[in-house]
Amino acid sequence: MSTFFDMGGYAAYVWPAYAVTFAVVGLNIVWALRLLKRSRKEALHRLAIGGIEK
Amino acid sequence: MAWTWFHRLASPPHVYRVAGRLTPWLAWPAGALIVAGLIGGLVLAPADYQQGEGYRILYVHAPSAWMSLMVYTTMAVAAAIGLIWRMKVAHAVAASCAPIGASFTFAALVTGSLWGAPMWGTYWQWDPRLTSELILLFLYLGYMGLRSAFDDVQRADRASAVLAIVGVVNVPIIHYSVIWWNSLHQAPSVMTLGKPTMPLSMLAPLLMMLLGFTLLFGALLLVRLRGEVLSRERTATWIREALQA
Repeated sequence: MSTFFDMGGYAAYVWPAYAVTFAVVGLNIVWALRLLKRSRKEALHRLAIGGIEK
Repeated sequence: MAWTWFHRLASPPHVYRVAGRLTPWLAWPAGALIVAGLIGGLVLAPADYQQGEGYRILYVHAPSAWMSLMVYTTMAVAAAIGLIWRMKVAHAVAASCAPIGASFTFAALVTGSLWGAPMWGTYWQWDPRLTSELILLFLYLGYMGLRSAFDDVQRADRASAVLAIVGVVNVPIIHYSVIWWNSLHQAPSVMTLGKPTMPLSMLAPLLMMLLGFTLLFGALLLVRLRGEVLSRERTATWIREALQA
C-alpha cells in the first residue's frame, strides 16, 4: 500500500495533480448547483413582487 | 416545418424541463466512468518504461486539457448561434460554459506544471503549447469579466459573444502548437490519425476519463443552463408552473 502512495518517488507531483483536478471537479458541481438555486430563488422573488409580466 | 425542432430548442420552458430531465442521465455515467478511469489509471495500468509512475498525471492532465478546448469550442459555437439567430438560449449556453472552461484550463495548467517539474526539470517554460494554453485561460477570464461589466444581460450576451468567437482562433493554435513549433510538450498520442501510441491497458482508462469528463461537462452545462435560462426570463408564466408546481 505504501508503495502505491509513494508513486515510485513521484508522489509529490502525482497526488497534488489529482487533488487540484478533483477540487476543480467538486467546485464545479457546487457552483452549478448554487447558481441554479440562486436563479430559482430570484425568479420566485420576481414573481412575488410582481416583477414578471403575466 | 423542418425548423420546428429549432424553435422548440429555443423555447425556454422546453429547455428548462428537458435539461432537468437529462441531467442525471449524464451525471451518473460520468461519475461511474471517472471512478473506473481512476482505478484503471492509478492501479491497473502498468508504469511507463521511461517515466515510471510519474506518467499517471496523464489521467487528470489530458482530460482537463481536453475540457479546456472542448468547452471553449462549445462556447464559441453557441455564442455564434446566439449572435446570428438572436437565440437567447444559445447565449445562455455560452455563458454557462465559461466558468467550467476556465476552471479546467486552470487544472490543465497546474497538472501540466506538476508533470513538467520532474520530467522536463521545470514548472514553467514560455513554450508555444504552454503559452497558448495560458492565453486560453485569459480568454475565459476576459469573457467572464466582460459579461460582468454589463448590467443588461442581452448586451452582455452580444458583447461577450464577439470575444468568444474571435478567441476561437486560439483553439487550433493550441492543438497544433506541438506540431508547428519546437515544443517541450509531446505530440498528441491519442487524438492522432492512425493508431494511438500506447497499449490498451494504459489507453482504456484514459478514454474512460476523457468520456467521463465530457459527460460531466454536459451535466454541469445543463444545470447551469437552467439557472441562466431562468434568470433571463422576465415575461413568462411558465416560471410559476416550473417553480411552484
